[in-house]
Amino acid sequence: MTNIWYHTNWRGKAICLLLLLAFVAAPIVADRYLLSVLILVFYFAYLGHAWNLLMGFAGQLSLGHALYLGLGAYTATALWTLFGVGPWIGVFIAIPVAAAAGMLVGWLGWRFAIEGVYFALLTIAFAEFTRIGFDHLGITGASAGLFLSVSSEGADKWWNLGGGPLLYYYISLILAVAATVLVAGLRQSSLGYRWLAVREDPEAAQAVGINIFRARMIAMLISSSMTAVGGVFYGFYYRNLFPSQVFDIGRSIELILAPIIGGLGTIFGPVVGAIILTPLGEGLTGLMQSLGINAPGAKLIFYGIMLMIIISLRPDGVWPWLARQMGLNGSRK
Amino acid sequence: MSIDHRKFSRRSVLAGTAAGAVLLGAPAIVRAQAKALKIAVLLPQSGYLAQAGQSCHRGALVSPAVLSNFGFNVELIHIDMESNPDVARTQTERAINEGAQCIVGAFDSAGTLAIAQVCEQRQVPLIVNIGAAPQLTEQGYKFLVRNFPTGGMLVKNGLTQIQHLIDATKIAPKTAVFLHANDNFGLAQRKGMDAIFPTAGLPFKLVESIAYDPKAQDLSVEVTKIRGLNPDLVLVVTRAADAIKLIRDIVRQKFQPMGIISPGAPGLYDEEFYKALGPLADYHIDAIPWANPKSKVTQALEAEFKKQQPKFRFANECFNVGFTFDALLVAADAFKRAGTATGPELMKALMATDLADHAMIGPPIKFDAKGQNVNIPSSCVQNRGQTPTVVLPADVATMTPVLPMPPWQGRT
Repeated sequence: MTNIWYHTNWRGKAICLLLLLAFVAAPIVADRYLLSVLILVFYFAYLGHAWNLLMGFAGQLSLGHALYLGLGAYTATALWTLFGVGPWIGVFIAIPVAAAAGMLVGWLGWRFAIEGVYFALLTIAFAEFTRIGFDHLGITGASAGLFLSVSSEGADKWWNLGGGPLLYYYISLILAVAATVLVAGLRQSSLGYRWLAVREDPEAAQAVGINIFRARMIAMLISSSMTAVGGVFYGFYYRNLFPSQVFDIGRSIELILAPIIGGLGTIFGPVVGAIILTPLGEGLTGLMQSLGINAPGAKLIFYGIMLMIIISLRPDGVWPWLARQMGLNGSRK
Repeated sequence: MSIDHRKFSRRSVLAGTAAGAVLLGAPAIVRAQAKALKIAVLLPQSGYLAQAGQSCHRGALVSPAVLSNFGFNVELIHIDMESNPDVARTQTERAINEGAQCIVGAFDSAGTLAIAQVCEQRQVPLIVNIGAAPQLTEQGYKFLVRNFPTGGMLVKNGLTQIQHLIDATKIAPKTAVFLHANDNFGLAQRKGMDAIFPTAGLPFKLVESIAYDPKAQDLSVEVTKIRGLNPDLVLVVTRAADAIKLIRDIVRQKFQPMGIISPGAPGLYDEEFYKALGPLADYHIDAIPWANPKSKVTQALEAEFKKQQPKFRFANECFNVGFTFDALLVAADAFKRAGTATGPELMKALMATDLADHAMIGPPIKFDAKGQNVNIPSSCVQNRGQTPTVVLPADVATMTPVLPMPPWQGRT
């Protein structure tokens, strides 16, 4: 990380610091609606980082990351509702649960040379049968859902993640910043270079002595653990969980959009993608309403069209292009 | 650059501050003194719940004109929550920022709970039009009322109606099978059935409960199993597409029970059901809350619906339309009594609701301490001439029930 910071030009450093300062100070001027949108921006940036580690750096396509999100969310919320174990402790139990699932998926896939789209299918299958399992798991409410108690304004209880949007805003901001720092550090580490080598040419990487199975397993371990933390946040923010929503493939797709739009395999891609996508959705809703268009689904159609335009114009993602436009060095970062 | 101190006297600053304070406080004053209650109606108009959400939305579209005729003045903000709790939450924040004084929604329990969090924190009343998860009124929300039965109430009231149906038609079923979708609604119904059926005193035995995956391509395996058990009655909890698959497989396998009855679920009265099955859609019975065909409010609502939504049949949609209308009526009535739209006062008025004239069958709308209307009875609605028709209770029925249902042969 320090290496990247050292090699970033003054303009890049200034933009980073100003952006961070603006986000830290945003609650002073932002209303609750804007805060709720920003919470989603940081949340998707964080999850995008987690997925980008596996796909963008290690080159392994997962379409079932909702599995780790759901396991993290269910573990922490179930611990809280059933045993009174708070989320700050629960997260340390949720992480190994999700990581174990990730290791199992990774081991099955890479040990038996299931790669590419077949590995993606494996990840979907695991998420799907976990959803069906949770649909029948009585202790977590099965398909009827798991519910947390009401969280009232003014009753901010940081120790049990209950309270108003300000608490969630800063937690999501911290998560997004910490993930960016972590990913930047990993990218510059020897592990990061091994991931890139494995991504670009696994046979060549193996030929030069890189244990590709080990490198991929470490990527999966970190990625699933990070996603589990996002799941804990999700569970306590929404305070209700339904297997059909948490483990749904739609959830997996939702969390990979930001890094794809922002720039796969880049450090700031997931952040830029999340900054574009969430406000785009909200902006379109506002625009539709101000134009008096009340056709159900029209916003989603426009949203899809906008995504197609962005992807066709910037197939490598928005961040590398944006970095070049802003004169920042190291656009692939 | 120098500052012209003549323009910044202490008096002018004070006057400016006062004017600013008045301007900043203006929305609150306007909110409190508004003549029309501004209600945000959040519904899943797109996404996987779009069919039901759009039906509710049509109810919301026609409601202001009907309410106006009854002396209520409301202004609606229609919001599509896209069957997505993320969107439900942010759009609730936006709606309240834009002046919504009350929220109505949201058909699905997950979305409703996301909205409820915001409403609780911002002290804006939420009126649940449709949403059966018991937790909605069991979690301790102080700014939420629900004019819709819980899953348990639906089953209990549904079974009561089935008993009335047996009494009215003088049939003597000995056995029944319970078939339900394995989703959150279906499972809630199953739990209710397991808890309530043993003490309901019905004259038949429930020989088996069968869960099915709502995403299954057909229900032939389940129907084969039911056929093997040969029950007199098939009790079903379905959605529209599953109900079509179920009846097709039952007809295909030539299984002829006395009746197919839903103890409180959609599916058997949806327009798609009639279109897909034609005469085979007739004589199935749904024991659910329904619009009162003899209520003057329902009649006015139906007339307005026919005028504004000529492409849709009120008879099919009156469940969604009626409950959405009643939620808006409850809000408008509370606003009229409270004389203000400030959250706590409006909520107090909502909790004191005693509304005799409304669209759905049942006694006056009242809420208990938890915000739940515990007096929402079910009725028996039988498909007759491919139209859902109230056949029980007798005082609001427009036809008498027919059971056992006529054989499949000869219907097509």
